[in-house]
Amino acid sequence: MVRVDDLWIASFRAMGGPCEVLVEVDRESKAQSLAARAAECAWRIEEKFSRYRSDNVVARINAANGAAIEVDDETANLLDFAATLHRLSGGAFDITSGVLRRAWTFDGGARVPTAGEIDRLLPLVGWDKVSWQRPVLTLLPGMQIDFGGIGKEYAVDQAVQVLSRISDAPALVNFGGDLAATRPRSDGRAWRVGIEDVTRADSGARSANRLIELQAGALATSGDTHRFVTASGERLPHILDPRNGFPVRGAPRSVTVAAPTCTNAGMLTTLAMLRGFGAEHFLETESVRHWIQR
Amino acid sequence: MRVQLIMADKDLKIGAALTAATCSLLGIAAPTTAFAADPDAKWDVDSALLYYGESDSRVKDLSLGTHATRDFGDERKLGLDLTVDSLTGASPNGAAASGGAQTFTSPSGRDVYSTPAGKVPLDDTFHDTRVALNAGWSQPFARLYTVSAGLGFSNEYDYQHLGANVGLTRDFNERNTTLSTALAYGQDTVKPVGGIRTPFSLMGDVTGDGDDGGGSVHKNVLDALLGITQVLGRHSVLRLNYSYSDSSGYLTDPYKLLSVVDPVTGELVARTPGGAPGATGLYRYENRPDSRRKQAVYAELRQDFSGKVLQIGYRYSTDDWEVDSHTLESRLRWPLGETSYLEPHVRYYTQTAASFYRYSLASGEPLPEFASADARLADLDAYTLGIKFGHVAPSGNEWSARLEFYQQKSKPPAETLIGTQIGHAQMPDFNAVILQFGYRFKL
Repeated sequence: MVRVDDLWIASFRAMGGPCEVLVEVDRESKAQSLAARAAECAWRIEEKFSRYRSDNVVARINAANGAAIEVDDETANLLDFAATLHRLSGGAFDITSGVLRRAWTFDGGARVPTAGEIDRLLPLVGWDKVSWQRPVLTLLPGMQIDFGGIGKEYAVDQAVQVLSRISDAPALVNFGGDLAATRPRSDGRAWRVGIEDVTRADSGARSANRLIELQAGALATSGDTHRFVTASGERLPHILDPRNGFPVRGAPRSVTVAAPTCTNAGMLTTLAMLRGFGAEHFLETESVRHWIQR
Repeated sequence: MRVQLIMADKDLKIGAALTAATCSLLGIAAPTTAFAADPDAKWDVDSALLYYGESDSRVKDLSLGTHATRDFGDERKLGLDLTVDSLTGASPNGAAASGGAQTFTSPSGRDVYSTPAGKVPLDDTFHDTRVALNAGWSQPFARLYTVSAGLGFSNEYDYQHLGANVGLTRDFNERNTTLSTALAYGQDTVKPVGGIRTPFSLMGDVTGDGDDGGGSVHKNVLDALLGITQVLGRHSVLRLNYSYSDSSGYLTDPYKLLSVVDPVTGELVARTPGGAPGATGLYRYENRPDSRRKQAVYAELRQDFSGKVLQIGYRYSTDDWEVDSHTLESRLRWPLGETSYLEPHVRYYTQTAASFYRYSLASGEPLPEFASADARLADLDAYTLGIKFGHVAPSGNEWSARLEFYQQKSKPPAETLIGTQIGHAQMPDFNAVILQFGYRFKL
């Protein structure tokens, strides 16, 4: 644990990225126990919902090959949420779009798939093709789901809820750039949060270029900082439109949104990304506080 | 047609549905609101439009104020204030109500105004516009110290103010204790309409030449403050201040009068105007001491009761004019949901009269060294009752509306009443309404 001014900062890795928990308490032992509870949240959710594991509910669903799978309450809540988001976004947000990754490799390289490759995958994409009758989910054979677009933000909110329940110490939970505060700092000061400058990230310099003061609530960021392919000089971000299998055109390089909860903020950044050139218009219509880098 | 429908659909807000879905996913009732500010925004601007109106068509003030701060990082801050005030209406001129109608020469000496029998005389010739500008800078100095300095200027038709201030604060005890000291110096220039009055000179007739006299007089004010702020725990903060103020120079109100009355009956001594219209009674211009030393102590406690913040303040002030005052004030900030709040406000103020305050002057008796019949120096009580509503938008901008009622009641100075004044003296008491709209935003 590191002490910076009157904050204890714990760092660990989860969900494929660096995570940190900032707690404003006097004793290191107290800070350590709070940070441990937040980390447990991250690790539990990663273990349960990661698509890279073979022993969790997502693996069971993805290996069902057309069979009906009964899921637990928490998974059902996430599936309900995904279904709502699919409807609200007119099909743009889709947890079954992960199979498109077989065609798109986001490694910074230059390989762009052919239309034929995409067309062969599209029959396996689309929440409208699944049968979801809580608590039973039935996918078409070969279809897969992926909570990657929800999991991290959901974990942040879970961690914040746990911390608020067990302590009234001000805390900030940051899982890979998606973050939320339990409450303002004890002297009323805001939490100061830097958003990474994506234009500078190219050159390897990792300097936060934009400061946001967060009094309460959450911030989530979507961006292509580390994941893109270059197609004829145009950067294609990792946001794919599941309706046609291609990256969204005109998506901003980075979108940050402030919202009451991290899940809320994360969904708004994702939906904004999916709007492409319309990202600004979308967030302005939603009248949420946002920061966009193009 | 279909294209149009899709376009329309795209503009539908999904925020509420998304929030509902999120709440259901997280198993929470209603989410807290996000308050994210953007320190890259250059200015934090607090603006307010204020209306102040006294009963019986007395003073009305419409004021537009803007307070802007710019944070240059590392707690280096620039603050700018701009206030524009427009004052109209009538104010008591100090003369006593009389059994007959009274006519007064206006301050400019060009005109007259009258007051019906039995009414407290009001001078309705005032209307003024005031512009005030203040600029201040504060920054950390060494570790745990903050220094600040500022300059101020205000201008109205007959009054100018120039001021400067410096301050130093130091944090102790892991920043749980803050000691602050401040010094302010102001130099005011008064250019009374109609010229500077000779103390106790008699109000005359309309002169017609509108000569302003051209003279100006000065007033200097030195203020010193010593304060301590102590964090008493996670939920309460105590503030204690001691202040000292030394005013010197022209402290008289050039427009205030005293009625000259019969030493037995207490009735106004009549005067017959000369060739031109003029005062119908004997009225003398007031005269106050040319120095005033004031000391005050102030204690304020802020307590947070799980989101509801109670603020209680008490101030005691005493000065060598023998005006001693007590102020008791309280505000309670009551959150309504996550984005709005209500803030009731009560204030009680009481003061003793200045040693030279009197109701009138007796004809034929030697003039006192100092005298004023300005009711603001009387033994008085004032009550304020108000409520404020504020709402913070998702952008972090905040608007607010405040409505307050103010009542001022003063007591006639019993020991200076003469004859019929006893039991009949009238004080220029009034009620006032304060209405304020505020908007705070980033720029």
